[in-house]
Amino acid sequence: MSDREFAGKTAIVGIGSSDFARLYRTPDPERTGEALATEAIAAAIADAGLEKSQIDGLITGGLPHYEPVAYRTGLTDVRFVVDYPQAGRMCAMALMHAATAVHHGLADYVVLFNSVVFRSQGTTFGAQPQGLLYDTIYGMASPGAQYSLGFTRYQAEYGGTEEQLGAIPVAIRSHARMTPGAIMQAEMTIDDYLDARYIAQPLRLFDYCLVNDGAVAYVVTTAERARDLAHPPVLIAGTAGRANFREWYVDLGFWDEACRSMKADLFDPLGVTTDDIDCLQVYDNFSVSVLWGLEGFGFAPRGQGLEWVQGGRIALDGELPVNTSGGMLSESYLQGWNQHAEAVRQLRGQAGDRQIPDCDWSLYWCLSALPGATLLCRGGLL
Amino acid sequence: MTDQSGYAKPLPTVTPEDWEFWAAARQHRFVLPKCRACGHVWFPPYASCPSCLSFDRGWTEASGQGTVWGFTIMRQPYIPSFESELPYNVVLVELEEGPMVYSNLIGIDNDDIACGLPVKAVFEDATNEISLIKFRPA
Repeated sequence: MSDREFAGKTAIVGIGSSDFARLYRTPDPERTGEALATEAIAAAIADAGLEKSQIDGLITGGLPHYEPVAYRTGLTDVRFVVDYPQAGRMCAMALMHAATAVHHGLADYVVLFNSVVFRSQGTTFGAQPQGLLYDTIYGMASPGAQYSLGFTRYQAEYGGTEEQLGAIPVAIRSHARMTPGAIMQAEMTIDDYLDARYIAQPLRLFDYCLVNDGAVAYVVTTAERARDLAHPPVLIAGTAGRANFREWYVDLGFWDEACRSMKADLFDPLGVTTDDIDCLQVYDNFSVSVLWGLEGFGFAPRGQGLEWVQGGRIALDGELPVNTSGGMLSESYLQGWNQHAEAVRQLRGQAGDRQIPDCDWSLYWCLSALPGATLLCRGGLL
Repeated sequence: MTDQSGYAKPLPTVTPEDWEFWAAARQHRFVLPKCRACGHVWFPPYASCPSCLSFDRGWTEASGQGTVWGFTIMRQPYIPSFESELPYNVVLVELEEGPMVYSNLIGIDNDDIACGLPVKAVFEDATNEISLIKFRPA
């Protein structure tokens, strides 16, 4: 939804996250997907300053089934329940669902979460049994190989080097190093990036996001109720989606049309422009997703994104900081959920050493088969 | 399924929707589903036309001509049976008739593969039942 009437009427009022780095260092068999979700839900409710009994909506994500978490959290008598399947692309969709639910009175306070145990389950994101287009019989394996295939096309159309692409993971790593709980804390230079092995050439190891365990939960309610809660509310200015189902995965226009459509849905009703956006907290499953979104949303001119990200432009002290907690490349692969949590911290002014001065607007996008986008802003702006 | 060919790589799971495509490929014919109602050509061979939703599916002979839209060079052993081929290419080919197909490009060094390269379909017999469609530079 993106109309003027809906904009700013709902808010994210609580966030809760696992300690991703601790789980990565020391895998904990007791932290099942349900346990991780429970921990994140408890943290999000406490962060909002709510009592558990006030939660009357539940959106689950990432788990095989929705009931086990309800039992573990005692959220057994809620008015509204939706279950999202395990898929990276669902964060904006779940947030859209939560916002519309509270806006229309289906529930007062919705808890939503994503919980993943990829690392402890040994998930590799490799070959599919057959693929949607018989890809596996030709040795195609992993989403990264699909994005790599897209990047060879991008280079053929617009040029640009692998070294230029490295500026994206290098900048995002520098942010992880300032983030407690981020998994990748080691310094990474462009030489470190280039020295790493190819996975699906031309993409290298650090073009790929992490594979880890963890959970993130939010509490969403109306902006009116949000006024009485613990923290400055972070308003949901708009949410947008634009399906892009293709059996061959990477959109032939690098998601330009989907980005333009979502941008129009989010920005136009409010008169917001790219100049208003203070930070991007976006879905960096692969470095190239950041590149294509920067062009599609009009931050960088079409075909010039690789040049545009050079010189620290997307670093914390640059013109447009991207993924200020380290994103999925370096903080945690919580599939867009850790990005929205960081957006909330930035818009509340609670990001500590990473705080962007006067942070008013944050944009999220996910470029996948089901692109989604979210525009969040500081309370009082709408 | 055991096959005397000893072919060890993944094979397609032939279904009621696509068996005619694979049967034609085994005869070294490249056919695409074509809607008898609206003329749309699509791939993979779903039973119904994604454009007009008609189930009146016919088949048309593909020219086998296409161009490389994009490619990747696989460098890690995600699929054990492909490990001995590393590094190998996977290409996404835009067929002259419109549909996109994944394949491997043969008869060319990986370093020489380029987007926009014109290619032509060839058939590689994998088993007694399955022939894979691959491509070589046209």
